[in-house]
Amino acid sequence: MSENVHDRALKLVAEGRVEGLAQSESDWLDAHLQDCEFCNEHARQTDRALRALRTAAIPLPADLASRTQFRVRLRAMELREREPKRRMLWLACAASWIFGMASAPYVWRLFAWFGRISGAPKIVWEIGFGLWWTIPAAFAVIVMLVESTRQSEEPDWMKPGR
Amino acid sequence: MRNEMKSIARGLQKRDPDLLDRLIEQYQYRLFRYLLYITGDKARAEDFFQETWIRVLERGHQYDGKSRFEAWLFAIARHLVIDWQRTKKAQSLDALTDPEQETPMQIANESEPSPLHQVLAQESEQNVQASLGRIGAIYREVLVLRFQEELQIEEMAGVLNIPASTVKSRLYRGLEALRGALQEGAA
Repeated sequence: MSENVHDRALKLVAEGRVEGLAQSESDWLDAHLQDCEFCNEHARQTDRALRALRTAAIPLPADLASRTQFRVRLRAMELREREPKRRMLWLACAASWIFGMASAPYVWRLFAWFGRISGAPKIVWEIGFGLWWTIPAAFAVIVMLVESTRQSEEPDWMKPGR
Repeated sequence: MRNEMKSIARGLQKRDPDLLDRLIEQYQYRLFRYLLYITGDKARAEDFFQETWIRVLERGHQYDGKSRFEAWLFAIARHLVIDWQRTKKAQSLDALTDPEQETPMQIANESEPSPLHQVLAQESEQNVQASLGRIGAIYREVLVLRFQEELQIEEMAGVLNIPASTVKSRLYRGLEALRGALQEGAA
């Protein structure tokens, strides 16, 4: 038998265990293994090795699960404590935004009146009004940017769809 | 199966403590075995085991229930080990473990029995089991995922973040290494 035949047989032995073989290849291999003691022994060794891997017993450390459950519950408590703070932050942000929208006409008049009595140029009190009105929005944008920066720092494998 | 995956995803979204307890119980052996095989160190595998579940709690909302939970779990565990490797050696585990590179990662000095080797040897006096500890970590990893965890090649590619062709080539090399180690052990 040529060396190529044995090479093909050994390749198929591995392929059969890793990916599976087509019926024709499997038939060819079976026929070859019946005739060739060397390749047959190789196939037996491979099967023995895989059996050993499948049956290898690992001693599990004592209480590993309960220790982990305890740690996970503690961490869950910490996370739950943090949640109301974040909710409060968003509520405060939303409330100030709504208040800002509702009070804008009055505040505009207030700024105009203040500009008149102080003699400040129109552009100054207009900028002042703009700043006052955009503070909640700017704050919300900053919070969102911080959040998205934190998200983007996560490795790709942690993101959905991986 | 799909329903179970969806219910796990829903539970993780809500950080359901009972679900997490159940998952820890259910996957403890498989996860610990995987971590032991890739780190080669029992104490370190224990640390990574706990850390993996903390990550599952924190990032559970990112599991979408479309893929098998264990594949996602192993990916988390593996990347924790990689992050640790990066901080320790300022190199990625992938770079260290690429079979195309000259020196694949070896956890311990080859001339001495590795901690994994010792663990396996303690557990069984059979040479065949102890010889598993002598295989390169990357090969052990793919062999474990394929033949112990019975993940599909595509799932393994997702866990390892490498192309399916690389998974296959590692599997072939690993299988050969395993057979060789077995023969050596028997000799």
